[in-house]
Amino acid sequence: MLNLYMFQVLNGLGLGMIYFLISVGLTIIFGLLNFVNFAHGAFFMIGCYLCYALLQVTGQFWLALVLGPLIVGALAWGAEKVLIRRIYHLPHTFHILVTVGVALILQETAVIVWGPVGKSIPIPDALQGVVIMGKFAYPKYRLFLILFSAVIGFLLWLLLERTRFGALVRAGSESTEMVSLLGTNIYKLFSLTFALGVGLAGLAGVLSGPIRGAQPFMGSEVLGIAFVVVVIGGMGSFSGALVGGLLIGLVQSLMTTIWPEGASLMIYGAMAAVILLRPYGLFGRA
Amino acid sequence: MKRLMTSKGLFGGTTLGVVAILVLLPLVLPSATLATEIVIFAMAALACNLLLGYGGLLSFGQGLFFGAGSYLSAIAMIHGGVGLIVALLIAIVAGALIATFVGMLSIRRTGIYFVMLTLAFSQTGYFLAYTLSKWTGGDNGLLDVPRPALGLFGFDLIDLKGADAYYVFVAVIFLAVYVGARRVIDSPFGSTLVAIRENESRASAVGFDTRHFKMLAFTLSGAVTALAGALYGMLINYVPLDNIAMAMSENIVIMTVIGGTGSLIGSLLGAGTLVLMGDFLSAIWPRWPLLLGVLLILIVVFLRGGLWGGVESLIGRLTRKDEA
Repeated sequence: MLNLYMFQVLNGLGLGMIYFLISVGLTIIFGLLNFVNFAHGAFFMIGCYLCYALLQVTGQFWLALVLGPLIVGALAWGAEKVLIRRIYHLPHTFHILVTVGVALILQETAVIVWGPVGKSIPIPDALQGVVIMGKFAYPKYRLFLILFSAVIGFLLWLLLERTRFGALVRAGSESTEMVSLLGTNIYKLFSLTFALGVGLAGLAGVLSGPIRGAQPFMGSEVLGIAFVVVVIGGMGSFSGALVGGLLIGLVQSLMTTIWPEGASLMIYGAMAAVILLRPYGLFGRA
Repeated sequence: MKRLMTSKGLFGGTTLGVVAILVLLPLVLPSATLATEIVIFAMAALACNLLLGYGGLLSFGQGLFFGAGSYLSAIAMIHGGVGLIVALLIAIVAGALIATFVGMLSIRRTGIYFVMLTLAFSQTGYFLAYTLSKWTGGDNGLLDVPRPALGLFGFDLIDLKGADAYYVFVAVIFLAVYVGARRVIDSPFGSTLVAIRENESRASAVGFDTRHFKMLAFTLSGAVTALAGALYGMLINYVPLDNIAMAMSENIVIMTVIGGTGSLIGSLLGAGTLVLMGDFLSAIWPRWPLLLGVLLILIVVFLRGGLWGGVESLIGRLTRKDEA
């Protein structure tokens, strides 16, 4: 029995790290660009499909893990150049509408390319099987998922807190105008940050591919969860995305053992509870 | 009586225009069912417009009210054996109550958090409907939804089985909703909503309890959307799970924006555009939502007043030429 809970806690951590990667991208973009990306879930979905497609073509999971997020990031970079930067000056409502349009285009394109039925993605050979720790056995791939995304999270923290780029992103979140006046090409910074944030959603997509496969309409569910995480953790907060993501991952995973049908429902229940008790989220500022 | 005849009155220009459209729709379109669908979605878009166009509140939770309206009215008819009027009243009251609850939690936050909260709550509704499959049919949807006759005190007065009769019924309800919404917008309540949209802190400084006003608008919108949902369930005799999915919320918002925010006739135009696009294109090319995405982007970039805004500025330009 204890083993079962241990198993679900680890699953929850893995799921939570996926949610963290998705939400932290959303949150970085919102923090610097003050832009709301409703296409975030659709980019995650493209990441899943790229994992499938790159595996089909190359047979190398590692290649998919590197190329997938890069391609998603490049797509986002292009979309930012062509479309997104034209609407920064408009109210949030229009950001939402345009990115809903982008999400529709991505979703339908995925159906055209890969068909309406989802694809399952095999677990890479090197990560098949289980790790045995005493009496406890845990799938290798899921363990890899937790460790790998923890490393990515750490690198991201280093990038944001210890590099010039990160300093610019954080400074820009406080005052875009000031950073621009001090001689930084703010548009270049915006493009890079948008590509980085969306690329993280793409990475989460590639990583979760072998666990839950790729479906063309998964984007909206993922978007809903990312919103729950940032509502709980506070928009624009790295630690909020981490804690919120892990919390939601654990709630969902533990509920799967107790009440399987209601696991997704409980995520939103958890959100409502947090909102009732702390209207501005766990780490939010008014 | 004179006040009623002026352009702002009950029987003024725009209301007459809506009556004309409602009369023409079934004559122009290939089927009354298609016309009914347009009018039902126009009702939902109108309710969304009340929030977005006048209150400045973008709600991604409209699908929740729409779906709740269809499910609850259908369940009441199937299991409770209630008649048409009671079923519709149940939908209206339930829509108002759910909207009040969601509004209470969402309106605590403003701006982008408000949008995200409404979306998250609509997802709650989706998973609830999915989980309670004993009542809702889950993934398969709720089948065999009846369309009872219009009756009073147990007597059946008008049979609505025919597509034409049902269209007239829905069109009359729409007209009532439209006139009601017009009155709400022209009332002090409506002006206050617009004031909140334009500058919430100023409206609040002047002494209005802005949260109270936003809540009321939300409740009203939820009731009308649920009514539309109930009518839709009776139209297609079926409540698919899609009725409460995020895509429904998305579609209602898209109709509102494509038609033009801040204009009630725009909602009719937007609903018409989307339903007709779906009807004509889905047979030719099932991936037509791709074009919808493109259209949505083009509207935001080039025609922010929506189609109705475009028509209005065109009329404005033409009449100015006449004067010159």
